[in-house]
Amino acid sequence: MSEVIVITSGKGGVGKTTTTANVGTGLAQLDKKVVLIDTDIGLRNLDVVMGLENRIVYNLVDVVEGSCRIKQALIKDKKYPNLSLLPSAQTRDKSSVTPEQMKKLTDELREEFDYILLDCPAGIEQGFQNAIAGADRSIVVTTPEVSAIRDADRIIGLLEANEIKQTQLIVNRLRMDMVKRGDMMTVEDVCEILAINLIGVVPDDEQIVISTNQGEPLVGSDALAGKAFANICKRIVGEEVPFLDLQKKSSVFTKLAGLFK
Amino acid sequence: MSQPVIIKSNKYGLNLILDPDVPFPELLGHITKKFLESENFFKNARMAISFEGRELTREEEYQIIDTISQNTSIYIVCVIDYDENREQYAKEKVEQCLVEESDNTGRFYKGTLRSGQALECETSIIIIGDVNPGAKIISTGNIIILGALKGTAYAGASGDEDCFVVALDMNPVQIKIGSIIGRSEDKGILASIRERKKVAAQPQVATVSDGHILIEPITKNTFNNI
Repeated sequence: MSEVIVITSGKGGVGKTTTTANVGTGLAQLDKKVVLIDTDIGLRNLDVVMGLENRIVYNLVDVVEGSCRIKQALIKDKKYPNLSLLPSAQTRDKSSVTPEQMKKLTDELREEFDYILLDCPAGIEQGFQNAIAGADRSIVVTTPEVSAIRDADRIIGLLEANEIKQTQLIVNRLRMDMVKRGDMMTVEDVCEILAINLIGVVPDDEQIVISTNQGEPLVGSDALAGKAFANICKRIVGEEVPFLDLQKKSSVFTKLAGLFK
Repeated sequence: MSQPVIIKSNKYGLNLILDPDVPFPELLGHITKKFLESENFFKNARMAISFEGRELTREEEYQIIDTISQNTSIYIVCVIDYDENREQYAKEKVEQCLVEESDNTGRFYKGTLRSGQALECETSIIIIGDVNPGAKIISTGNIIILGALKGTAYAGASGDEDCFVVALDMNPVQIKIGSIIGRSEDKGILASIRERKKVAAQPQVATVSDGHILIEPITKNTFNNI
């Protein structure tokens, strides 16, 4: 049974693309056949985060318009042969594709892949409508900030209205030090406002910036954010995994600091 | 008066301003002339008519309407009179019916209202769920929220200030009852979350008191006054 999952947020810059890259790679590490679709037409960047930009020949719009076959446009990942990317077009805009075309495309991809992940653009306009058209379930990414949460709430309402059955939440870029000081909302605060199931909490981690710049997703590494994404992937495939103790980070650091003393 | 008959239009239809001093048969002649002049303009129109400037008997009103009907293709739907007392009475009756309607009936809505969603209702409404910031609920009657009110609630939307808003967790951005608006304190979201955590949420009711929105805990006596 293949599943189409849309990764969305409403607000930009909260980590949709990073999440798509890491969750996709993580699912591939679990031996699933995965395809990532960048639906952000005109603002292509999932390929950059995946480090696959130099391999692009055809894109999503080419496929939809029939200029090439799906197979020709799919790019295989560097490390995982069971992971593919369908890049977005950079020179076109959101109106180049319709929701019906997206649904047809995802339905075709279902035959070959276990998971089809759609990286949704920010906003609630046509790009969003395109991205959710073929989706079975959704993952809403937010940061613990009022603006991101407000937009996430709006998005969840729209997903419900579009009858996306299952919607889960990732709280991204949580800073435990700030939470402890009382300067940032806790995960519980966020969940209370949004009232949907939590599927993962990803700490703010500079390793993410490093991995993004290198074009290699962090998932599976020892970094706390890498572990968090790996756990999210396990939860997506249905495993029960306890939530990471994000406090640990400081204890690891104190241990390291102790070694160098 | 320079002209014995002046035709004006208003939102319902035509308003005839009549000279009180011209004898009625002569006035009728003026009306006929006036309407014939503008017949093409009013062609086949359906409109209401009202009279101003002169006391008319029922009989005279009928004669004017007959004259207009015979000489033009205008169809007079009804006569509107400008009796202030009667208008006030009608207005009160209509409002009373609306209030009764909203007092005696209610609807249920199950689910959380999220940012960008608005619920409008011609009766009182009971929400089983939260009203999130950015969401709006409008009712001509009362609003009862079995959950948290974190957005905007507008009770008594047709102007009834006796309506109330009840929530298990009262933390609105804005409450409006009738024409009275109350808004939340100017504080950050973290501060309000922290404040709410200090004390367990208790059901509260918002009503209008002395021209202001008053929010207070619900007690046994609360509903005696409502």
